[in-house]
Amino acid sequence: MTIYSFYIFDRHCECIYIKQWHQQDKFRPTSSAGPSGTDSPASLTGDGKRSSAGSTLLRSNDTNPSRPGGRLSVQDDAKLIFGVVFSLRNMVRKLSGPEDSFISYRTGAYKLHYYETPTNLKFVLLTDVKMNNLRVVLHQIYVNLYVEFVVKNPLSPVEHHGGEGVAVELFEMGLDGFIRTIQD
Amino acid sequence: MSRQETPFVPFSPNPSLQQGTPTSTAPLKHSLTASSTSNLRYSSSRKSIYDRHLNRSQRSELSKASFAFLFGEMVQYAQKRVSGIQDLEKKLVLNFTVVLIATGVTQFDIPQGWDIVLNLHGYTIGQRLLELLLWRDGRSAKRETRILGILQFITTTLYRSVFNKPADGLEKSRDNEDEYMLIDNDPMVSSYISVPKEMSQLNCAAFVAGIIEAVLDGCLFPSRVTAHSVPTDQYPGKTVFLIKFDESVLEREAVL
Amino acid sequence: MSANKAARIGEEVWKTRIDKVNAELVTLTYGSIVAQLCKDYEGDYIEVNKQLEKMGYNIGLRLIEDFLAKTNMGKCINFKETAETISKIGFKVFLNITPTVTNWTTDGKQFSLTFEENPLADFVELPDDGRAQNELWYSNLLCGVLRGSLEMVQMQVDAHFVSDVLRGNEVTEMRVTLIRTIDDELPPGED
Repeated sequence: MTIYSFYIFDRHCECIYIKQWHQQDKFRPTSSAGPSGTDSPASLTGDGKRSSAGSTLLRSNDTNPSRPGGRLSVQDDAKLIFGVVFSLRNMVRKLSGPEDSFISYRTGAYKLHYYETPTNLKFVLLTDVKMNNLRVVLHQIYVNLYVEFVVKNPLSPVEHHGGEGVAVELFEMGLDGFIRTIQD
Repeated sequence: MSRQETPFVPFSPNPSLQQGTPTSTAPLKHSLTASSTSNLRYSSSRKSIYDRHLNRSQRSELSKASFAFLFGEMVQYAQKRVSGIQDLEKKLVLNFTVVLIATGVTQFDIPQGWDIVLNLHGYTIGQRLLELLLWRDGRSAKRETRILGILQFITTTLYRSVFNKPADGLEKSRDNEDEYMLIDNDPMVSSYISVPKEMSQLNCAAFVAGIIEAVLDGCLFPSRVTAHSVPTDQYPGKTVFLIKFDESVLEREAVL
Repeated sequence: MSANKAARIGEEVWKTRIDKVNAELVTLTYGSIVAQLCKDYEGDYIEVNKQLEKMGYNIGLRLIEDFLAKTNMGKCINFKETAETISKIGFKVFLNITPTVTNWTTDGKQFSLTFEENPLADFVELPDDGRAQNELWYSNLLCGVLRGSLEMVQMQVDAHFVSDVLRGNEVTEMRVTLIRTIDDELPPGED
């Protein structure tokens, strides 16, 4: 019962937050050129040295350009996931009306959980295939972590122009703690 | 914002009343009821604010989020204003520093721009709160003349009316006679704000410091109040308000 | 959703899920902000109105997320439902008031909110300089809040005050107009 990664997309189709956990290795192993998959979470924002405040969390990812063998960088991952999620959501709406939205999909290797707020904020979680539906978890992350620490923090921007992401320490700590309790 | 004015603020709950603003436009002629001295129009169906009882809103409550959002916007606005004049300030501070070093002073405390602005907002509010609270105490209100008395008033009555809980501690500094410390383990105003590293000097508790300072000034205990954050494991938001009384207060206290 | 249901939801959320704070603190804080603006713009009340609206807009962008988190509402079906939600749940949850929705136009795109009480303007009297009563909309922040929060749920609206008891009118009334529904944004490269 492991959780691989977590993404947030805003209403402008931008990815504003990515977090990956070490089990990512099993799912999509890093090449020897990239940062080694150690036991500590390979989070892009947890490392204070890499992201100086206000700078884009996505731009700082250039340590991992397209790896050989067709595996994608984290940024491209995010774009791909967004494309899938966006198309699926539109398809579902066309088929069953504007009230409905897709909840999750499963492949042989992973399960993707999706939650969208009425403000078009999209939360995506990638886990292993055995996990139960985590839509409630995503809703909890929105209500208890995102709204409390990001929205209510006057020093964190609402509109992310130019790829700025969410860079709030309390949010990240809360998210980490929360996900760990889920995994146990 | 002038603090040299008399500590007894004329009771004017109207926050936008500006003292002596000159106007070039002639006052309006109007048909609705008006007092003989003011030219303001009042709605005929409602009473003016002077007819409403002040205690009406004593127990009323609003969502904490409303305060948080308003406060956040205040911080943002203060930030924008300050960065606009930051260059000017820097020049001023630089000159000031040179002068101080030249005259041999080596230790001084230059508050950051937005701390001042937040402090001033708190000050305005504190002035009015003081009047309101003393009026509400009614006949039993005692004019505090001793330092301990006024500090008790702040720790209990003021804090309770504003934050619904008394402050968590009051201490007297051992090194300096004129310094006291008021401790708040979890100031409400800072609970939503997580400050990034490069803005570590921003302390939203400066707002509360302004309130305390206004109350002290209003009760004729001139002082300077600053907020310092002293996070502990148990209380990461713990804040200490350092209250430094003026000479005059200590002299008076010694006589009493 | 009927008005009654909205009212019940509003009451329930207010009683159970909201942390409360002393109303006077909010009133005084807002007053301090308006006073600061009046001082900064040296009596140019038109500019103060604009600033208040802009500040309200910034607040609205965030407030909507908090509102959705606390009330668990989904999207409203039409503008009428939006109006009921705003007045019975939105204002109740944040300001503990329920303005009435009135004066619908026939095409259902415009309505008025009438405020019996306004906690932001408790015990406020506008300055007696002859211009404030004509030019300043004291609670203009609320217009910005509505504009910001509705924009985040795909509605572009215009909100402005048409009367205010602080100005000597009989009631405080805000007019809200739906300009258009904003479409979802498409990712770049897809049309």
